Parts: sequence; C-alpha cells; structure tokens
Amino acid sequence: MKRSVPALTVVIALSIASSALAHHSRAMFDQTKQVILVGTVKEFQWTNPHCWIQVLVPDPQNPQAEPVEWGVEMGAPVELMRKGWKPGSLNPGDKVTIIVNPLRDGQPGGLVVSVTGPDGKIIGHPAAPGSRAP
Amino acid sequence: MKVRIAPTVFFAVFGCVSFAAAQNLNSKARVEAFAKLPDWSGMWEPDIFVGQADGQQFSEEALRKMKARAESMHPSFTPEYQAKYEAIRKSIEAAIAADPLHPPATHQPLCGSPPFPATFTPGMFQWRVTPEETTFISTVGAVRHIYTDGRSHPPKDLLWPTLMGDSIGHWEGDTLVVDTIATKQRLYVGELTGFFMPMSDQLHFTERIRMVNHDAIQIDYTVEDPVALAKPIHAVYTQTRVTDFDRMLEEADCEENERDPIVNGRFTTVTH
Repeated sequence: MKRSVPALTVVIALSIASSALAHHSRAMFDQTKQVILVGTVKEFQWTNPHCWIQVLVPDPQNPQAEPVEWGVEMGAPVELMRKGWKPGSLNPGDKVTIIVNPLRDGQPGGLVVSVTGPDGKIIGHPAAPGSRAP
Repeated sequence: MKVRIAPTVFFAVFGCVSFAAAQNLNSKARVEAFAKLPDWSGMWEPDIFVGQADGQQFSEEALRKMKARAESMHPSFTPEYQAKYEAIRKSIEAAIAADPLHPPATHQPLCGSPPFPATFTPGMFQWRVTPEETTFISTVGAVRHIYTDGRSHPPKDLLWPTLMGDSIGHWEGDTLVVDTIATKQRLYVGELTGFFMPMSDQLHFTERIRMVNHDAIQIDYTVEDPVALAKPIHAVYTQTRVTDFDRMLEEADCEENERDPIVNGRFTTVTH
C-alpha cells in the first residue's frame, strides 16, 4: 500500500546523478528533490551495510492523524563515524528534522542528506562546501 | 633451600632460547630490503569520497571528477564487442524506460569483495608493503596480493578467472609496477546505472603505483584486451590520506541489515 507523504516537500534543482560504483544503485532516490521530515525517532539502526532511521512523522495539516513512519537510509557505520556520528547519536523519542532525497516511487523513504538533533544542531560534521547537503 | 642451577644447564637452556629467537628475526638481507621500500602506512580513500553527505551523496567536486574520469576512460571497443556493448546498453535503457521508479539491478549489491579493478572505488584502504609482496586491503572486504618476490604468473593451465586475478610486481625506484591477469572477464562501465561489460580472456592490467606526496598515492593504470578493445584504456586514480580515522572497520556485511534487496531484477527499498 502506498502511503501519502505528509511532509513539506521542497524541490531543488540539483546536478547530475552519479553512477559511481557503490554497494547498490542510488537511482531509486530522486536526488533532484529534498523532503524535510519533522518527527520523532522510533528506531536508529546502526548497522551494515547501511544505517537507517525509522522516524514517525505527523501530518502538519492533520495533527490528530496517525503519524506516518518513514525509513531513511544513511551510509555505513564506519562512514558515519568519520562524519562525527556515534551509535548513540539518536535514541527513540528524539525530536529530529531530517532532510532526505525521497524515493521516486512515493513510498515513505529516502536517502539522508542531514539530520538536526533534539538540541537544534546538525549531527556530525557538515558535508564539504559545494556538496548537496544544505 | 636454595636451588642451584648448574652453569652448563643454564647456558644450554638460554642458548637454545637465544638461538630460537634469532631464527625468528628478520635476516640482514630482509631488513635491508625493507629499508629500500617506500612507507605507504596509514589509511587511504578515493579522492572523490571526501565531503560526502550522510547518505553518501557525492560533492559537486567529486561529481565533476567522476564525470571527467568516466569520459577519459570510455572504452573504444572492437566491432564485435561494440555490438555486445550496444545490446547491453539498449536492454538497460529499455528496462529503465519500462519502470523509471525502480532501477534495474545491473550488478549484484557489492557485499564482500568487489572484483578488481573495482577494488579502487568504495571504502577505505591500507597498503602493506613488504619485500615479498604488497597487500592491498579495503574496508569492503577486498584483499589483493601483489607478489614482488620475482615470481612469474603461473602457467596458463593453473590459471582461471578470480575476483582479484593474479598480480605480480616489481619496484622501479619508489614506483610499484604491477601486472595483473586472470581477473573476472568484465569491466565496470560507469554509465546509465553502471554495469559490468564482458571482456575476453586476454584482459590485462598494468599499474604504476606511487606515493606522489605525503598525502596522495597515485595509481596510473592501463587496461588492454586485444580482442575486446580497439585501443587500451588509460586511467589515473588518486587516493588521499585519511586523517580523521585510524581503524579499518568492515562495512560490507549485508546479512546484518540489507534493506535494498533486488526484487524481479530491480533494486527496491524496504522502508519498514
């Protein structure tokens, strides 16, 4: 079942997609778009080959409705550690703002660009100047 | 009561221990051979990986470098292999057009060692330089053994295609010159969704590897295949020193939490 996307969607024109050899293709994510998810962490999976955040996102237009659970993908733990992340950087219940490149097929999932933690700061080091991170 | 050890017993035991220890030490010749080798210790990564976002999206600079490298490396095939290439390309284009939302899985997820020369692309690396061999180790599980003890490739009847092939090398000053044959007969072509192009059993790689400065190792490599390629491919990879991390941690354990499985020949994502 496809779920609706109750998040604020920001469309930003970005550069060409890459096809560098990686663990798997990233073509399922639309890297010309960014979606801002404001929600609560359900689970932080510090796992290979990729880390994932399960986040519950309420619909700002309908706060009484059941929040939609998004599954958003990150790099491998070793790559995130180098960016300043730790296995305990997120915990269930944390309020977060996550920017993702969304899945093309409309499922509630995406590829993480950046995560702002409960203290209002971006977790980890920001990406290099000129990167796709905001 | 004091126990007295006879001097003859003491020297017999101590002498044996000393002799055994000496047997385990590097010979003078090996120490001298080590001293002539360059120091490539530390950790390294592809220059394109610097500055990624949390989802490993590439920086603009990395995308520019990748595009330029892909263009410079584009193979010039013989007519027979050009036809094979066009057929694969058309089938991938058709698969993308049939379902643009789910990319066709043109190669299996890289879990464990990627085949040479794809070893150079993902992860972080270490080089272990010894007189007998230089070993290349990556965090995605690739291990290459480049033998520098003067041996030749094995005879043809003892060779078959393997992930890393058979590599022998020698030193020309501070440059490691490597000759590799018997790899899997395919070459990664980084366009469309990226795929492995079949090649012939004459696929042959030559590398010249050198630390060009304290923070960069350059791999100058040439791909030859007189059956599949109309002319050799030449490419340069640069690895930069990793300065923010000091451990090799594996990152290709797909059994732990694989959430991008291939379903009906296409990459999918499990969001829950």
